[in-house]
Amino acid sequence: MNSNQLNNAFTLFLSLLVEAVPFLLLGVLFSGVLLFFVDERKLVRMMPKNPLLGAFAGSCIGFLFPVCECGNVPVARRLLMQGVPSSVAIGFLLAAPTINPIVFWATWTAFRDQPEVVFLRIGFSLAIATIVGWVFSVQKDLRPMLQPAVARAIPVRREDNEGKPKLATSSAFASQSSPLLQSGTYWLNQPGQTGRTDVAELQATMVAASTAGKPLSYKFNLLLENTVQEFRELGGVLILGSAIAAIVQVFVPRDIILSLGQGPVTSILAMMLLAAVVSICSTVDSFFALSFASTFTTGSLLAFLVFGPMIDLKAVGLMLSIFKPRAIFYLFALAGQLTFLLTLIVNLYVS
Amino acid sequence: MNRLLFNFSPWLDVLAIAAWGGLFLYYRANGKLFLLIHPSYMWLTVVAGVVLVVVALLKGMVLMRQARRSTVRGGSGAPHLRIFPPGIGSLLLLAIAILGMVITPRAFASQTALDRGATDTLTVTRVRPQVFRGSEKTEDKSLVDWIRTLTVYPEPDAYTGQKAKVQGFVIYPPNLPNQYLLIARFVITCCAADVYPVSLPVKLAQSRDTYKADSWLEIEGAMMTETLAEKRQLVIEAKTIKEIPEPKNPYEY
Repeated sequence: MNSNQLNNAFTLFLSLLVEAVPFLLLGVLFSGVLLFFVDERKLVRMMPKNPLLGAFAGSCIGFLFPVCECGNVPVARRLLMQGVPSSVAIGFLLAAPTINPIVFWATWTAFRDQPEVVFLRIGFSLAIATIVGWVFSVQKDLRPMLQPAVARAIPVRREDNEGKPKLATSSAFASQSSPLLQSGTYWLNQPGQTGRTDVAELQATMVAASTAGKPLSYKFNLLLENTVQEFRELGGVLILGSAIAAIVQVFVPRDIILSLGQGPVTSILAMMLLAAVVSICSTVDSFFALSFASTFTTGSLLAFLVFGPMIDLKAVGLMLSIFKPRAIFYLFALAGQLTFLLTLIVNLYVS
Repeated sequence: MNRLLFNFSPWLDVLAIAAWGGLFLYYRANGKLFLLIHPSYMWLTVVAGVVLVVVALLKGMVLMRQARRSTVRGGSGAPHLRIFPPGIGSLLLLAIAILGMVITPRAFASQTALDRGATDTLTVTRVRPQVFRGSEKTEDKSLVDWIRTLTVYPEPDAYTGQKAKVQGFVIYPPNLPNQYLLIARFVITCCAADVYPVSLPVKLAQSRDTYKADSWLEIEGAMMTETLAEKRQLVIEAKTIKEIPEPKNPYEY
């Protein structure tokens, strides 16, 4: 390690951040707007009950929210806390970074000469997200797989006497009449509980308390507070992920990753590894992949474009804010195997 | 310490967010943003910088108003930390933003180019030709234009005698004799994480020692074909060589 490499790593690190922070900010703002200005419960109710259809619908919600993999995590976490079925949330989490207008446009710009890459990217991402979401729907109660803070905030469906489904959060505060709306008294009255309060729970409670009837300035304050907190936490994780990505890129010679293969199998594995390491935003990763277009198989480029937005070092850091490591491992394994299988078919039979 | 961070962390948030907004705008102002990302994405960074500053200002105003109303109440500014212990997330953000202001990002140099495979001149077929202009004067072509042309029609003999005038930085190729150097540019597609080098060999009249690696040169000469490292390739035979300052925007697109 010399100072030159160190400076290179720092420059890389900064460039990843300069590129990713605007999208992170966009995601945080979107998720905040979604939280306070859109009635998500309506959206949640519109989701199909069938797990397979739900997973598909979840995968398509991305088209409404043009966020990359830094931005989709807060939205997915929110959807989970709103009580969407796990299939919808997982489908959204995996597909949203790819299935959205901005990414489609960017990929189209990059691969105009190879339109099959654009459409296969969309198709594969949709298929994998739907399948993985469907698989996760077998786990009826996702809470054991979630970080405690998120799990606590998930509403449990209760049938009341009239048989109408009624939403209530399992959080300790849900039964009280929207304590957060009594501005300021909350922390004062319950000093013992501040330790276990966090933004996830705060948000869920606020949603449960419905901000619909509140004045705009109140909503605006909440949006501001939400933006600050999410930016701080997700930004911190983004910094750690980008640092790891930059260090690996500078100190592991790229030749080692690339020389792993030109063959149909090894090129896919190499590109999947590269995708996980580079952690580049899905909005711009097609340009990055374009730079390998001549040296790598079409299947491996697709693997990069499909797998990268779902799982990479940076995203794993962000996903740890929702899931326990076990669940991330399942997601990783399922998405990885499906990507590998589909792109191998492309390599062997299509191109 | 924890209690201190707890009390100050709303202000730490404001500081950290303002620092990031400031960093982005500072990079834009001093042109360092050119070293980090492709110009077409710069507006995103600038808008993000402005939004961050605005968010910090708004949050600061809210905090001030709360402080005036009551000194006891934590209000909505009380920390609800999940991933990081109190204040650490903001401290991390703030520290990196300050580091970013203190340590200047530098353009990549020849060592990075070698690491990223600058020597295999003919694998740079990544550059796809966008536009062709038949009547173009060859001395107007940039290094990347040359590589693009080569990609489409790789036979070096086709270019023999054409005038060349390119700018780039010097790489000492390890596998070529002392009389040769590579003139190189980095091509950026999105951000510095994906820059890749393109280069052409240059044949000098004397030893390359006069021109240090990483120095920026403008080379005028004519194209010729040589067999270097057991590969027939296009080489610029240098007639005049001029040292130039490193351009503000060292990458090409």
